[in-house]
Amino acid sequence: MGGVEVDLVDIKAMSDRELSGFLRKNAVSLSVFEAKRVVELIGRNPTLTELYIFNTQWSEHSSYKSSRSILKELLPTKAPNVILGPVEDSGIVELGYIDGERYGIVVSHESHNHPSQVVPYEGAATGVGGILRDVLCMGAKIIATADPLRFGNPNGKDKNRVKYVANEVINGIAGYGDAVGIPNIGGDVYFNDSFDENCLVNVVCLGIVKEKDIIHSFAPESAEGYDIIIVGKATDNSGFGGAAFASLILDEKDRESNRGAVQVPDPFLKNVLIRATYAVFEEARKQGIKLGFKDMGAGGIMCSTSEVCSSSDFGAEIDLSKVNVSMKDLPPYIIANSETQERFTWICPSDFTKTLLKIYNKDFELPNISLGAGAFVIGKVTAEQDYVLRHNNQIVCNVPINAITEGIRHERIKEAPRRDFKEPILKEPKDCNKALLSVLRHPNVASKAKAYKHYDTSVMGNAVISSGYADAGVLKVDNSSYGVALKTDCNPRYCRIDPYWGAVNAVAESMRNVAAVGATPSALTDCLNYGNPENQEAFYDFYEGVRGIADAAKHLRYKGTKFPMPFISGNVSFYNESSSGKAVDPSPVIACVGVLKDYSKAITMKIKKEGSTLFLIGKRKDELGGSVYYDVNDEIGAIVPIIDFESERNMTSAVVDAIDSNLLLSCHDVSDGGLATTISEMILGGDADGRIGAEINLDFTDLRTDKALFSESSGFVFEVDNQNLSRLKTLFKFYKIDLVELGKTDGTKLIFNKNNKKIIDLHVDKLKEAWTMGFVEALE
Amino acid sequence: MPKKPNVAVIYFPGNNCEEESLKAVLASGMDGKIVRWNERKNVEKFDGFVIPGGWAYEDRIRAGVIASKDPVFNTINKEAENGKPVLGICNGAQALVEYGMVPGLKKKAEMSLAPNINPFVSGYYCAWIHVKGPEETNGCAFTKFTEQNEVIPMPIAHGEGRYITNDKELIDKLAKNKQIVFKFSTKDGKTESKFPTNPNGAMNNIAAICNKKGNVMAIMPHPERASFVRQLPDIVELRNKSAGNIAAMNSFAPAMQIFKSMRKYIEEEIT
Repeated sequence: MGGVEVDLVDIKAMSDRELSGFLRKNAVSLSVFEAKRVVELIGRNPTLTELYIFNTQWSEHSSYKSSRSILKELLPTKAPNVILGPVEDSGIVELGYIDGERYGIVVSHESHNHPSQVVPYEGAATGVGGILRDVLCMGAKIIATADPLRFGNPNGKDKNRVKYVANEVINGIAGYGDAVGIPNIGGDVYFNDSFDENCLVNVVCLGIVKEKDIIHSFAPESAEGYDIIIVGKATDNSGFGGAAFASLILDEKDRESNRGAVQVPDPFLKNVLIRATYAVFEEARKQGIKLGFKDMGAGGIMCSTSEVCSSSDFGAEIDLSKVNVSMKDLPPYIIANSETQERFTWICPSDFTKTLLKIYNKDFELPNISLGAGAFVIGKVTAEQDYVLRHNNQIVCNVPINAITEGIRHERIKEAPRRDFKEPILKEPKDCNKALLSVLRHPNVASKAKAYKHYDTSVMGNAVISSGYADAGVLKVDNSSYGVALKTDCNPRYCRIDPYWGAVNAVAESMRNVAAVGATPSALTDCLNYGNPENQEAFYDFYEGVRGIADAAKHLRYKGTKFPMPFISGNVSFYNESSSGKAVDPSPVIACVGVLKDYSKAITMKIKKEGSTLFLIGKRKDELGGSVYYDVNDEIGAIVPIIDFESERNMTSAVVDAIDSNLLLSCHDVSDGGLATTISEMILGGDADGRIGAEINLDFTDLRTDKALFSESSGFVFEVDNQNLSRLKTLFKFYKIDLVELGKTDGTKLIFNKNNKKIIDLHVDKLKEAWTMGFVEALE
Repeated sequence: MPKKPNVAVIYFPGNNCEEESLKAVLASGMDGKIVRWNERKNVEKFDGFVIPGGWAYEDRIRAGVIASKDPVFNTINKEAENGKPVLGICNGAQALVEYGMVPGLKKKAEMSLAPNINPFVSGYYCAWIHVKGPEETNGCAFTKFTEQNEVIPMPIAHGEGRYITNDKELIDKLAKNKQIVFKFSTKDGKTESKFPTNPNGAMNNIAAICNKKGNVMAIMPHPERASFVRQLPDIVELRNKSAGNIAAMNSFAPAMQIFKSMRKYIEEEIT
């Protein structure tokens, strides 16, 4: 074992009680067992720096110690279109060929839940900042972000805090993304009381890269002697212990003391840093230089440099005194572990180092952009597989690099919790108009314009469908006719009732949403937000969630093949619970990425023409558990929508083909709020400027009227020009799907008829008022 | 073949619309290049300038004010006095107003782009709006193809875009000089002052102003994000008519006129 030149922490001499006290006093979250394991692993007592390194690396956030074996066992990650599975900072799925070269879509999906609960603006902003780095460091051009958000009950016991958190999170996302200049093309927002004390702020980012230009998060071949360079903001003490903090249960009392663990965002520096990095990419490609490049996020310099070297079986020697710092007298363990934002690690052959430093420090003047910022050589890649840190000429860390990066595993025990949900006995409403308006006004259904109009949705000029206009956002890819679609989904109330089927629905709905704009679903990412994994019931929910998304991906398949929909990237966020130990609703948030060969075929949800025909596919069933309709009646129910995999697969494929054949004028999936909501939203359109109504005949189903209107059973509604009816019918017959003709678009009202009686009769202005006000009211 | 007009799209640290601005410049038939703020050498050789949107210098103090103090701006101002066209979009417009190039009557800042007044979203607001072109122009370099009173859809994306002045006579002067180029309007060209038609509370619905000569324009909405049919949302009929037809979706949308006009102006007046 390598020697060190500073004092050791004498763990061996401490009793368990003393050790526990020592760990707490020094804000080390390792358990006594884990701290002793460090001693065993490195064969001696650790230095304080080493102890903090293991503290970070063995946190749930960095090590996936509770989740890794289950993810590995269950999640499908392979399909012919996968360029890079979930091993580096982002996954990459095939876009297609442009001028004979294969291109990939880079996708990353993360959470920033705890920071956003404690300091919502900064927490949400740094969440965006981190995900941009994950995508950029693959050598990609960043093209879009999306934010799935879960907030507490805006009318519940914590409503003031909930509204504050929600508004500040939205402002933080806007404040960061708008300034860097990345379009926000989607996401979703749900409110319910399980998130009162622990919001969920997930974020997804997309990039585009030519396959041969991918830069990996590991040192290239024969990198021995290469320079280790860090670039970006000067290191300070912000975010020290951030990864460990992500793995703690939030206690409202500790809100103040947890603030220090949240990082400080600097989108202005990031804006310049990204452009400078594009210039480095260009120069390195021109000269044929192979580099390693990695985001510096959780675990800071230590995590980034150790992983980038150990992945290619190298070691590293780093001098922490060479790190550009913005605070005096930072101890080495803070320099090594601080999660100061806006930084990256480069592994660079020394003859290219000068060029790289010049681009950052001279051409883009980073030192003049932000005090102390810039690119600096801090060490070398070594053949010996040790991780050596020096500070003021003393060795403060010297351990086998694999010991740091290999992490730790915990076998967790699962135990099914009691779930005694019951179906409610609801009287059929006398006034379906009123019922529909209250569903449209529900904040989970209502237009989210008040959120996304804070976001820059049109910057970069490539948005073909931006937030709100359709089930998914669509971007045109430069120098090609390709379009990329993106949508996130997960209904927390379904998962509360049934963690397995809730998870299945999240995958199915995300794929439906992408299909509804005409894109072929290509890949999935997951951000698994659950409670404390040491709690057997929370861990059961986690396991069921993973089983659910895995089964859905396997059975729903990559269109036209026997391959599963591949998961190419993901994240696990545990310890999402209230101070009393109640976990948030299980939330396997799924992002689905889709591809259109011809972006111009993408369609929105708004009805385009008078006199065209509306169709429904997907049978209405009595499965309203977790539905918005039950919620407006203060019920939750017990039977959530069950996905019939074969029919779901056929529906999604048929819709993609129909849009590809230019047969549909508009399309919208059936989900939150059911059929009546779907048609209302199609009438209104994303900007709620729609003026074309519809008259619908509900006689096609035997289901009770309210259930037929509001059941959230999977399906699609679409608008078809009458001249295309026979082609449409042929196509759906091929997929063995029943087409239900709902009625015609016409007038300025939404009318539902049943048994020759008007059960709904509402002017578009009424629909508009309810749908545009619900979310506004929730935030005020 | 005569040489194409060559336009510099200036990137100040913090700008973020330089790429799409360059794309619109190139598509209009001009040559162009993104020029960093610190690449001042030879910048005067360009035939025209675009100051793009974003948050130059982090909008410290006020939006656009630090960029307007950057040395490169003096060169741009000098070239503008020689007649070269300068188009400031969003943050670029804010910088032009801060410098005093627009409206440019007194060689100092006469107007201000104040924080939006918007009853729906406070602060930064991104949405599609319409602007109405002028009835007649003063030979403005950016409206050579705009029909009389033509209505053009564009997105806005700003927190501080409300044209105001405390000089009571200035607005009349601007109207008389035909310096008010675009006004916020409804789809049908009504310039009503209420939200959402006027999305930021600007005086007289002003969306874009030019200098007296008409070769410098400061526009708050983003023409570069509305220059191709594919960029338009489904609230614009032209987009819906073109869906499914890639040639139609890739073709020019009305806001491209601004860049085409810039090109024509350079061809006629500069090169």
